[in-house]
Amino acid sequence: MTGYEIRIGLEIHVELATNTKIFCGCAVEFGAPPNSQCCPVCLGLPGSLPVLNRAAVEYAIRAALALNCTINLYSEFVRKNYFYPDLPKAFQITQDDKPLAVNGLLRYYLGDELMETQITRLHLEEEAGKSIHSGESIIGSEYTSVDYNRAGIPLAEIVTAPTMNSPAQARAFLEQLRLVLQYAGVSDCKMENGSLRCDANITVHPEPGMRVEKVEIKNLNSFRALERALAYEAERQVRVLERGGTVMPETRTWDERAQKTVRMRVKAGAPDYRYFPEPDLPPLELDAAWIEEIRSTLPELPLEKEARYQEAYGLSTYDTGVLVRAPQLAQVFEATVAQGRDPKFVANWVTGDYAHLARLGGTVSAEHFGQLLDMISSGAISAAQGKTVLQEMFARGVSPREFVAEMGFTVIADRDFLGKVIREVLTGHPELVERYCNGEDRLLGFFVGQVMKATNGRAEPRLVNKLLVEALAEGRNWQPRAE
Amino acid sequence: MISRAEVVRMAELAMLELNEVEIALYQADLNRFLQSGAELRKVNTQEVRLSSHVGRASSRMREDVIQRSLPQEKALRNGPCVVDGCFRVPRVMEDVR
Repeated sequence: MTGYEIRIGLEIHVELATNTKIFCGCAVEFGAPPNSQCCPVCLGLPGSLPVLNRAAVEYAIRAALALNCTINLYSEFVRKNYFYPDLPKAFQITQDDKPLAVNGLLRYYLGDELMETQITRLHLEEEAGKSIHSGESIIGSEYTSVDYNRAGIPLAEIVTAPTMNSPAQARAFLEQLRLVLQYAGVSDCKMENGSLRCDANITVHPEPGMRVEKVEIKNLNSFRALERALAYEAERQVRVLERGGTVMPETRTWDERAQKTVRMRVKAGAPDYRYFPEPDLPPLELDAAWIEEIRSTLPELPLEKEARYQEAYGLSTYDTGVLVRAPQLAQVFEATVAQGRDPKFVANWVTGDYAHLARLGGTVSAEHFGQLLDMISSGAISAAQGKTVLQEMFARGVSPREFVAEMGFTVIADRDFLGKVIREVLTGHPELVERYCNGEDRLLGFFVGQVMKATNGRAEPRLVNKLLVEALAEGRNWQPRAE
Repeated sequence: MISRAEVVRMAELAMLELNEVEIALYQADLNRFLQSGAELRKVNTQEVRLSSHVGRASSRMREDVIQRSLPQEKALRNGPCVVDGCFRVPRVMEDVR
């Protein structure tokens, strides 16, 4: 692969989170019975006319502003003509040479390196219906079933400049794009449900800047598929070039089972789509004041939040990364810290146990979570007990104070009692004690664990540590280490 | 002028199978359209603004309020082949040549 320059551009389709379709009042709901959310407009029946959904325009503007685009106050809808069963009118209403927004920019991290990629354009269009292919994939299917519930859902199409140089970079870009769109609140961006989809185009240049044909890859349903398909395709094109062949301009599909790209069709050129102005929709003329109003409601975006967490709270890159990638965790973190708690302590709990339990389902209010952290930091209960309490808070919605009182959770900090437990543990493991005395320091953790187990997690861990070290030091004195 | 090859390409995009007689017929027809269009070149349009739409209407937008859809059986009524609530069509994948 050395000596070749890879250039990748992405074309992303995002379903906007409106209640209704872009040109009619049919509901937008994932998983409804097939063809139950259709009307004459979205089925393309004769005589029906489209009327633009204001919320679709608003979401598209929000997305464009979050991606630092310039909004065109004047844009036009056009018809893109092609025959495909998922397109009931045999044309798609989209935007062509006068799109809603242009010239955006997205910044993101690839590892530790801050990258930026130009967004060429963002435009509005209608979604096609959903084709369900018989058999296991599109390849080798016998027939296709079509559901038009999806036809007419508003889409923002986002096109990047073809300037990304590796599959990993394309993935990092797409991950950040999804996060920004989620923060902007314009889409749920679920790749598994198809509300965020990505096509990629890739060229492999034997020499930088040398003109070569573009290959487009479709059917990339996950971040992993995007990265793998691009890696496979880059290698395939290099093989073609090294055999002295030419890469053909074509559309390929990612075959998840075979983990390779397969030729679908020769790439259609723009003239083949015979774009022309949509006569049923007047041009879209926007009021600059409305755009500013939308801009003023945009929340803090991920990269800004990340910087603020590091500066204001002194959090690690790891902690900020976890928090920023999960907005609901960031919310709990901020609400809990706002009441004057130690940010690092809070971040540890939020990114650790809280994040783990939240992934399994449910939430715990910042108020209750804060009460729990206060009990742990004041030493009223141990961290181990705190974990149990948090589990119960997620499972049954209990209040931490009531639960602790009910269970009689208290910390054991009685030296005599703990000393007795420690003697029992040490007497029970004479060989391990000997190994520790011979220098295996890491066994200390095992003894601490045994004491915690014997006290059902109620022992004060710092005290246990101290008492154990003391007790074992006596042992070392009895059996001095061989020189 | 529209060539024979362009007619064949257009027929391909429109998924129409044309025989030689039809190709010649449509080629002549399409060229007559172009000739009619060419008449417009005689009109002086120097002072006329470029426009894509007739009239001066601007975008009218509707609020994002759900309206009732067609019942499923009505939506499917025109389908020549309907299976499990879906329109069924022949496979769409082109043969990989």
